[in-house]
Amino acid sequence: MSTNQSTLGQLIAALGLDTDNEWPHVVRERLVAYGLLGLYVFVIWFPIYFIFITSIKPSGAVLDIPISFLPTQPTVSNYVEIFQNRPFELYTLNSLIVASTTTLICVTLGTVTGYSFSRYDFVGNKALLLSIVGARMIPPIALIVPFFTIMSNPPLIGGLTGSLYDTRIALILTYTFFNLPFAVWIMKNYFDGVPESLDEQARIDGCSRWEGFVKIILPMAKPGIAATAILAFIFSWNEFVFALVLTSSEQAQTLPIAVSLFVADDFVDWAHLAAGGMIAALPGILFGLFFQQYIVSGLTQGAVKE
Amino acid sequence: MSTEKQSLRRTLDRLFVPLTVGPTMLWIAAVIVYPTLKLFWSSVFWTNPINGQREFVGLRNFQRLIFAEEGGAFLGLAPDFVSITWHTIVYVGLSVSISFALGLGIALLLDKDLKGRGWFRTAVIVPWILPYVMSGLMWRWMFQSEYGAINGLLTQSGLLSSKIAFFSDGTLAMMALIIADIWVFTPFIIIILLAGLQNVPEQLYDAAEVDGAGRISRFVNVTYPFLKPSILVALTIRIIFDIRALDLVWVMTQGGPGKSTEVWASWLYRTAQVFNRPGEGAALGVVLLAVTFMIVAVLYNVFGDSPY
Repeated sequence: MSTNQSTLGQLIAALGLDTDNEWPHVVRERLVAYGLLGLYVFVIWFPIYFIFITSIKPSGAVLDIPISFLPTQPTVSNYVEIFQNRPFELYTLNSLIVASTTTLICVTLGTVTGYSFSRYDFVGNKALLLSIVGARMIPPIALIVPFFTIMSNPPLIGGLTGSLYDTRIALILTYTFFNLPFAVWIMKNYFDGVPESLDEQARIDGCSRWEGFVKIILPMAKPGIAATAILAFIFSWNEFVFALVLTSSEQAQTLPIAVSLFVADDFVDWAHLAAGGMIAALPGILFGLFFQQYIVSGLTQGAVKE
Repeated sequence: MSTEKQSLRRTLDRLFVPLTVGPTMLWIAAVIVYPTLKLFWSSVFWTNPINGQREFVGLRNFQRLIFAEEGGAFLGLAPDFVSITWHTIVYVGLSVSISFALGLGIALLLDKDLKGRGWFRTAVIVPWILPYVMSGLMWRWMFQSEYGAINGLLTQSGLLSSKIAFFSDGTLAMMALIIADIWVFTPFIIIILLAGLQNVPEQLYDAAEVDGAGRISRFVNVTYPFLKPSILVALTIRIIFDIRALDLVWVMTQGGPGKSTEVWASWLYRTAQVFNRPGEGAALGVVLLAVTFMIVAVLYNVFGDSPY
């Protein structure tokens, strides 16, 4: 018991709840804060827990009454079956290709353009920047009609490729529409925080603008680039509306569509849906757990900074 | 270094801005400006669903969506337009206000000097990063009438004797949607407000405490002025993203039962894709675009000084 008590004592001290060093009201406030945060986290994670245990129950056990809130007889069969009975490897591949290509395009263009916006006062600088801010406000769903028309019969390249409907290229092009302005904006704000004296020093050392940008500034911008890349990847990976409008078969359909396909008119295959949903959610959960600070900094750079 | 090489370097340097900005602008022209112009263009045409013939109809598409008329007689606003607009207001209004209050509370708690708050922050952010489709279906499963967790908890704990068919009742279905929406988007509010709270100088809190200011007075007089820009951004983005959001509605209720959870986004999708009436879908897109810019303008004129 004494060891128990001492671990408890250590925990209390570690959380700053020991009354020896602090005023009692401070300690009470901390206790309340922990209690409220703990409750909130418990409530918001409960649905994730429930869909996770649904995914590892035998598919028949999902419809047992009373509902069991513990994973009885855990199994991976639902995960195996969605790859066997449905082309989940293709959906996953499509999601990976679409999200990473979109990210690559937007990060590359966003980085170089963001840098120029941050450093150079060229003609039309303000107007172009304002148009980028405005572009971010366009509701993507408003554009489903024109994007459907354009992708079904693309101008300029239409004669070469025919229709882009139900291709990954259509999704990549469409996803750059909401990711590129965002990438330019975050990177511009990020470069604003990199001191201009570094550019000047590079110039004095005999670097051309390109060399200075690539050798000196770009390495400094790695955290900003990482934040942009992670957000662009997540936005593209999670996108549903355009995938719904622009694709119709497994040659281009992505994971969000694949998951929604488990819903038939009257019947929903919950066990397999849960497994598919967990696969679709995996990158988000991993990014959230390991790269949280990039997501936070990217969002705040993108939203709050002037 | 040879002179040619030098002059090439100089030329490339002079072209730095055009070469770094130009491609992005061309790209934006192709994937944003062109589709947006095409949206306006499509909104004034009517496409014959049988032979695909397009016919210029001016503002007829807008008229047909917004106004009710019979035999040329004007009968007022279209019932669908009124009810769907109302659903959108209820959905966006309740989701945004509740998630704002909740997000502010959690952000204030996370701003405290607590050990392990990094863990809490991570745990709190995750719902926003998951695919909306997955979150919507997850909540549909939670609220499922027979085997869902919420009915399970309510009946197995003895609180309720019979299960509730959430998605058979318009009000309950709307409530389920709003709960899912709050679950998904509260993290966004938390992130933005937490960043804003970091701008509040610590000394001001201490000074206020010395002056004997209470909790509420401290928030109103110290925290709020510094937090205001973040509040504005959080609310603006939250509202304009909610008006456009189709994912949750489409996978949870598809606008049903009946039309009781139909919102603008699902109406637009249904009109354009399900009913194959691109002209009217584009007209709705134009309305949505206009409403979005109006909301941003109003919010910034009422509460803020400069947009972004």
